[in-house]
Formats: sequence, C-alpha cells, structure tokens
Amino acid sequence: MKQEILRLPAEQLFQKEIDALIAAEKDPIPTGWKMSPRSVRTYICGGKVGRTVITPKYIGHERLVEIAIATLVTDRALLLIGEPGTAKSWLSEHLCAAINGDSTKVIQGTAGTTEEQLRYSWNYAMLLAQGPSEEAMLKSPVFHAMETGTIARMEEISRCASEVQDALISILSEKRISVPELNTEIAAKKGFSVIATANTRDKGVNEMSAALKRRFNIVVLPAPADLESEMEIVRTRVAQLSAGLDLNSSLPVDETVEKVCTIFRELRSGETLDRRQKVKGTSGVLSTAEAISLLCNSMALAGSFGNGEISEEDLAAGLQGAIIKDEEKDIVAWKEYLENVMKKRGSKWSGLYKACKDML
Amino acid sequence: MKHPYIFGIRHLSPAGAWHLKHFLTEKNPKLVLVEGPCDFDDQLANFVLPAVKPPIAVLAYTQESPIKTILYPFSEYSPEYQAILWCHKNKRECRFMDLPSEVFLALPSSTPSDQDGEEQRMNVYALLDKQAGEDGHETFWERTMEHAGDTEGYYKGASTFGTELRELGQGEEHDWPEILVREAFMRRKIQEAIKQGFAPEEIVVVTGAYHTAGLLDESAQPMSDAEFKSLPRLGADHTLMPYSNYRLSTRSGYGAGNKAPAYYALLWEGMINDDLSLTARSYLSRIAGYQRKNGNPVSSAQVIEAVQLAGALAKLRGGKRPALRDLRDAAVTCLGEGRFSEINLAVADTEIGTAIGMLPDGVSRTSIQEDFYRKLKELKLDKYRSITQQDLALDLRENRKVSSQKSAFLDLNRSFFLHRLRVLSISFAQQQGVSQDNATYKEVWSVRWTPEAEIELVEAALKGDTVAQAASFCMKERVEQSSNMTGVAKVIEDAFDCGMPEVAVYATAALQAMAVEAASLVELSNVAHSLSVVIQYGSIRQLDPKPLIPILQQIFYRSCLILPTECSCDDEASKAIAPAIDRLNSIALAHDFLDSNPWIDALTQTSDRDDLNTKLSGYAMAILLERGFATGESLQLEVQRRLSRGTPAELGAGWFEGLAMKNRYSLIARLSLWESLDDYLDALDDEEFKRALIFLRRAFADFTSMEKDSIAENLGEIWGLNGQEISETLNADLGGEEKELVESLDNFDFDF
Repeated sequence: MKQEILRLPAEQLFQKEIDALIAAEKDPIPTGWKMSPRSVRTYICGGKVGRTVITPKYIGHERLVEIAIATLVTDRALLLIGEPGTAKSWLSEHLCAAINGDSTKVIQGTAGTTEEQLRYSWNYAMLLAQGPSEEAMLKSPVFHAMETGTIARMEEISRCASEVQDALISILSEKRISVPELNTEIAAKKGFSVIATANTRDKGVNEMSAALKRRFNIVVLPAPADLESEMEIVRTRVAQLSAGLDLNSSLPVDETVEKVCTIFRELRSGETLDRRQKVKGTSGVLSTAEAISLLCNSMALAGSFGNGEISEEDLAAGLQGAIIKDEEKDIVAWKEYLENVMKKRGSKWSGLYKACKDML
Repeated sequence: MKHPYIFGIRHLSPAGAWHLKHFLTEKNPKLVLVEGPCDFDDQLANFVLPAVKPPIAVLAYTQESPIKTILYPFSEYSPEYQAILWCHKNKRECRFMDLPSEVFLALPSSTPSDQDGEEQRMNVYALLDKQAGEDGHETFWERTMEHAGDTEGYYKGASTFGTELRELGQGEEHDWPEILVREAFMRRKIQEAIKQGFAPEEIVVVTGAYHTAGLLDESAQPMSDAEFKSLPRLGADHTLMPYSNYRLSTRSGYGAGNKAPAYYALLWEGMINDDLSLTARSYLSRIAGYQRKNGNPVSSAQVIEAVQLAGALAKLRGGKRPALRDLRDAAVTCLGEGRFSEINLAVADTEIGTAIGMLPDGVSRTSIQEDFYRKLKELKLDKYRSITQQDLALDLRENRKVSSQKSAFLDLNRSFFLHRLRVLSISFAQQQGVSQDNATYKEVWSVRWTPEAEIELVEAALKGDTVAQAASFCMKERVEQSSNMTGVAKVIEDAFDCGMPEVAVYATAALQAMAVEAASLVELSNVAHSLSVVIQYGSIRQLDPKPLIPILQQIFYRSCLILPTECSCDDEASKAIAPAIDRLNSIALAHDFLDSNPWIDALTQTSDRDDLNTKLSGYAMAILLERGFATGESLQLEVQRRLSRGTPAELGAGWFEGLAMKNRYSLIARLSLWESLDDYLDALDDEEFKRALIFLRRAFADFTSMEKDSIAENLGEIWGLNGQEISETLNADLGGEEKELVESLDNFDFDF
C-alpha cells in the first residue's frame, strides 16, 4: 500500500519496533511511560529485541541519549541545544514516540507564538454565546500533556518572544495552569514533562533567560564526532527518507557518501581531515541534515533526469546548491576549496572536481 | 599447604581500604604482609607517626646514573596504608613482601618513565575496556567494586576480577616474566613467615587483585635462596616523601595514581561516616560552591536536580549509586548548561583537589634535604621557611661594614643558592624583575615555602647529594642535550648566576666544539651577547670571567667572517640580521680584547658590495658612519652610486631604508645627502618614480614629525623655499586625490 502522507510521525513509522520493545519489557516502567528507560535507550540507540532488530535512530553519542532519558525520568524538563542539523527535533520526536507512543503534542515556536498557544485559548463564538465553559476552551498541547501526564514538545523555543518563554517558566516550576475564567486550575499528572529544542547559531533568535535555562536540564548535541559516524548517519537517514519518496534512483554508494561528508566536515571545521591544510569556511552551517537532503536531492535528479544512479554532475549540482548560500563570499570559498583541496586529491576525486568546476 | 588469607585489592581504592579494615578486624591476624618492596620495612614506623598526613609516597632510586626510580604513593584511602595503621593500632606485625627495590630497579621493564611495572599491563585493561562497555574499566570497577556493599563480596569479587584479568592477558603481557618472579618472591616471604611460626590462618596478605590467583596457585614454588641470589641488583636508596593530589592525578597509570584523588577521598569519607550517599551530595555541592565563588550563580535547586539526575543515570546502567561518570555528566547537564567547558575548573578542583601531604620534620631526609636545611641556616634564610610569601632583596656587593669574609658576601651567597634552586626548578624562590638602573648588583626574590617545594627537593635528590651537586648535574645535562649554541650559552649564564665557574668552563668547552660547526649569524650574535653580559658583570659575582674571553673572541671573529655572506638574504631574513649586527657592534665596543679591525672590514665589505641585501648594506654604512669609519664624502659617493639612474628603484630605496635605521639625526644634518636624494628623484621617469615612491614611503614611515620637520627644512634650503610650508605639506594628511594616487600604487605590479 502506498502511503499518501508525506511524513508519518515516528511512532507510526516505527510501530513494530515499539510494540516489540513493549512486549519484551522486563524492567520497571515509570508512571505515565509506555516502556522502561532502558528500552527507550534501545529504541533510540539501536539493538535487538527477540528477533526484531531495532534500528538506531541517533548515532554517535549514546551517553547524551542516556542523560536525556534520565532527565525525563526525574520529572525534569529537557532542553536540547545545538547547531542547526544536529538532530535536536529528531531526538525529541523519538523520545516522545518511545516514552508516550505519541510525538504529536508539539508547539512550533515562532516569533508569532503567543502565550495563549502555550496555555489555552477560547472558541470565541462559543465563549460569547455561553460564557466561559470547559467546552469553549481550546487547550494547548502543553495543557493536554499535563492532563494526560505525557510529554509536550516545544520546538525552536529561542524563536519565541521572551514573554512567551517566561510563561513557560511558571508552567515548569509550578507544574499547573490556572484558569481564572473558570475559577479552577489544572495540575499536571505524573509523567508530564516538556522537551524543548533551541538553536545556537541561527540569526534572529531571542536569548533565553537564565531563569528559563535553570528550569531545564540542558543537553548540547554536537556535530558527529568523526567521519565514520557521520557517514553512518547519512547512509541510514538517506535510506529511510528515500524509501518514502519514490525517487526512482538507487541509493548513493559509500564513496559518494564519503565524498559529501568529507567536503562538509572540511568546510565546517575550516581544515582538511588530515589537519594539514586550512580551508576557508562558508556562511552556511553545512549540517549533517543538509548532507542528507543534498543526497536525496541528487537522487531525485538522477531518478528524474538521469539513469537512476547518482552521477558526478548530480552531486555537483547538489553540492553547489548546499554550499553557496551567500553569493559572493561562498563562491570564493568554494572555488578555493576546489582548487586547493579537491583538485589535489587524485583520480578518485577528479570526476567530481571537473563536474563542480564546470558548474561554476 | 594451607594458604594464608589473600585479600586482593586495587591500589588507591577506598572500598578496598574500608573492607580490608573490616576483614582484618574480623580475622584478627598476627601478621599482615603488604605488597611493596620489602626493604621499605624500615619506613613502617614513620608511616604511623601522628603528624603524618597523606598523600605520601616512598621513592626508591638508583645511586648511580642513569637514575631509575620507582614510586609507591599512598593515600588516606590506600588499602595498604590502612593495613599498616591497623597493625600499629592493634600491635600486630606488618611487613612489606615484594621484591626489594634494588632488584626492582634492575628489572628490564623498569625504566624511568615507567614508575610502576603494573602500568605496563594497560593493554589488558584496553581489552577489559571493550568488554566492560560504557567508558571503560574505571567506571566498571567503580560500579562493581567501589560500590560493593559487603566485605565478603569485595573479597571474592576482587579475587574473581584478578583471575579474569589474568585469563584475559593469557600470560602474554610483556612483563609476564617479571610478574612470575615477583609472585615467586612473595610466596617466599609467606613461606618465611610460616617457618617463623605464624600459622597460615594468622596471616593476611594484602596484594593487588591481579596477584591473588598467582599466590594461590598450588603448582607454583616459592623462590629458592639460589634464585634470589641470582637476581640482578642495582645499588638503591629510598625515602619517604610528602606527595600531593595533583601528582597522584598526573600519574594516571594503574597503581601509580588515580585520575580523581579528591573524588576518591569523598568516597572514603562517605564510607567512614557510614553515609554512602554523602559522596554524590558533596561532589555536586562542591562543584556548585566553586562556581558560586567564581561568580557563576548556581542554586541549591539545581544541585538537587543534579543529584537526582545522577541517580537516574546510575539506575539506567544498573548501578546502586552514581559513579563519578554519572556525577560529572549530571553536573554538566544541570550546573553547566550542558557544556563541560562551563564547569571544567570546578571539576578539576573537586576531582583532583589541592591536598598536599605532610611529614614530620626529620622523617624525609635525603642528603639533599639535609644540605638544603643546613644551607638555609648558614645563609640565615631560616625565617623564610614559611607558607606566607615574603620578599627578599639582595645587594650583591661586598658589605664593608662587617668583619668576616663570610658575612661580607652573605647576600651574594644567598643569590648563588637561590639561583641553584631556580636551575633545579624548585619553587622555593622566584626571582622578581628589578628596575634597570640597579639591575646588576641588586636582586629581588619572593620566597615561599610550600610542601610542593619539598617534593621537588626530594625529586632533586636523584641528581645529587647536595644542592650544588644537583644543580651542576642538571646544567651539565642541559649542555649534553643542547642541540644549539643558544642553549649552551644560557647554561653559561646560569652557571655564573649560580656561582659555579667549573660548570661554566665545562659548558664553554662544549660551546667551543659547537662553534666550529656552522651556525647562523643570529645565533652567534645571541651567544656572543650572553657571553658578553657574563664577562661584563661577572666581577659583581666575584667570579673570574677570563676563561670565557677566548671563546667570545672566537665567536666574534667567526661572526665577522660570515657577516658579508649572511647578508645575502631576502628582506624577511634581514629583519633578524639587522638586530644581530647591532648586537655584535655593541659587543665590539664593550670589550677591549676584541679586535675591531676584522669587524670594520666586514662592515665595509657589507656596505660596499652590490650583491647583498641592500637594506643591510645601508645599515652597515650607517654603523660605519656612526663609528667614524666613513666620511661625509664617502657617504656622498655611496648615495650617488646607490641611487643612480638604472639601479632598480626598490634596491636604491631599500638601501636608504637601511641607512636611515640608525643615527637619523646625523643623517638629517647632512645637507649633501638630501641634495643627492633630490637629484636622484629628479632623474627618474614617471614609472620609476612610482616604484621608488613606494619604498621611500616605507623608509620614512616611522620618522617622527620632528624629524620630518628637519628634513623639510633641508629640502626647503635645497629648493629655495620656505621650510615651514614644506613641513606643513609633508606632515599634513593626504588629500582625497593624493590618497587615491597612492592607493593605486598598492596594486603596483612589480613583476616586470
């Protein structure tokens, strides 16, 4: 059966794995959770349960995942911080999927997010007709989470205005929302928590107050530690993504993945992998997530206009699109990289070099 | 044969110490044998003195060079230390039972860098790391053994751990033969005790967990007398010394240290206070406390969160209590906003700490320590032996008001002594910079006695029996290891500071040998400068600098010979050579015994030749002018020649730049010079002028406006104009159009 939904929530995509983990559960389960903390770790970091293979969802920093899970066990809110594309939202979604079997209680933080969206608002027609009543209330995902003792997600918290961030402070410290209109208040059930994500690098974000930061346990997600783990991440994610997209193209071979990851890592860190040569960096972040979308993009090109295998030209087009974000500066950096680094890498790289050179 | 009780431990393990204490109380043995060189027995009485405060260490070292050492550190929570204390308290006999240190030091695998033979077994631990999962055997050990609840569990667990470790290594460790020898000797000591009438069940043996299986092995024989005799030996001494947490943490190898001594002390504290959760609380509160003291607000609520998170992390790994790793991660997450860098100093302070051991006076007395204290008394420095920092000003000149020779030069001798300590890197006294005008006969030191200094002193015992001997050894070693002349010249300076002419002579000989080989002008000038300083000021230190004169002459002469060829270099290199020329020139002026003819010849040659770096040629000319070896006329001629049409503009201007680097006033005063320069510029065509302009702008860039004024006056005179107006024009900022013109020169293409 072909699915029509562009992107299923994690708990549906990995339904089988979650069911298998729940079925095989041996350890004590915290109140409000669907499985034990150890099973959550297995779900995220991969492993085997009976005969079901659990695919790893987050690769590289297992200890950080442990800290995140332990945080949620202790009823603390969790804040995932990191550069763009370090799998913050990804991790938060999967944590919720495993712990609650529901990753959909989410607020997308924007500059336009209001306090009401965090607490509750009203169906005004009903409010006017009947006056304040429970039926006329529009409950926010956080409200729902408190009622059900589950986890709410707050994406991009640093994009929200500071008064909205402040509203979260009182929710997190008192674990209750008062509804003065109905002369009542709702207290969070056991198991309630919040996972927020925030970006450190993007422009146009609001600084988070110290008071807010104190309400969270903070986990900083780093870029993948080495080439191998980054390649592993890219390979798995490209396979997962493209499976749902009908790209009519075969998966990129290891050599292609290696080339993309190498270029990204070198431009990101400002030096070649062997640390012998300095490289001028680009204005973009060049995250792992971008490497993944670049490869999917190249697959789409190959599938739609080529022979179904990623050619050097497809890759070059993708690379140029990903790397050159700010016309002038990035073109210079990219040209320099091509001439000083890639050209000298020998025959394995010469095809890609030529394709990139022609594209400019 | 019946075996005595063998209690396997890990060195520096609080749980080991705690359970061992219980074990001893329960079994109440008559004799306790502790792993450690058996000749250390004479130190046992010192271990239990009431004023002893761990960490302390026993250091054994060979009497002759090359010095090899082995070090046995003991902390409050070392099982061995607790065993010794228990024996003392309960009036039981205690003995060390490992190979004597003279044998240990002669074993092939004990090299100076390898403080403890067991460190070599790290590859086994690497294997263990893989099996233990998580972040390796440290955390594995802490979770399984340090948190072990009961003594029986620890006793059996350690034994199993050691046996497994042996199987993992499968006898393939490269120090395996050594292990077998050691265990045979330990069996010999056990047998000896039994022969003396101790029943096996009256003996408890305290040894590394690794050895338990070896000692219980029925098939293995104790070492025979003949075997013991045939072991290699090196003459060795040993001493008890104070030790510090910092040192414990830097020797991270197994047995020789541990990475978090202060944290382990917290574990120990938790055990003796019967409150095991104390460790986690105190660790996290200490980090919070450190952060607060350093201006980072941390609330108690955050500490509570961190304690809970650490507990949750431990549970996730199946632990009962958080291990160090859990605590640190919790601290990063809750107190450090997710970043280790936020709390790294607090972590270092809490895990390593600043604790320093103490020994009562007279316990740690190597001959160098005795010499040191004797010297302190002799030089009336006794009162500086205190923990508070004091300043000490020395006047090195003879004090004519006193009667004896000894007190007349008291300050000088103090200076010698302090410099010797400086050479040995003993942090007792730090020399402070003094203002220039009395630098030669005055020195200011800030003196402070710390246990760290005592430790450094004991370590210096390896280099010699007295402070002077050790300093001499140290400097000679530096001479031998020096690959260039600069290093040796520094030793000569140090030797004079230390009042040790014989070392200076030794270093001079080495210098002589090196001077024959090729060395750059810059290096030669540095060395010559060092020597020159010593010769000039040596008399202040009552030392005869004569032996240094021939070598300075030799180096100076050599510099003269290579000067012209060294000046054939690019502009980059000339930046280092010009100061070298200047240094050599001052040296030539400072010493009568240096023949200045070759120097002047070399300068003249450098100045005259056209194929050298023109800037340096100009600079040589400037020095000749300054010293009166070039006349106004020769300058005039040279200017015309150098700045004549046809000479590439950058060369001419470069030469002028060099010329202007010295005694500008006399240059400015020479009207003829400016006339020549004027003629030269007039003769250039547009393109050439542009080129020349770039270089001349550079040459005049660092002239002050006063100097520019004077030049303007000269030019005014030549052109018959008002000097004042020219000066204003010259000193004014460039106008818009001019600026553009000049900036267009920046892109000037020189490659034609």
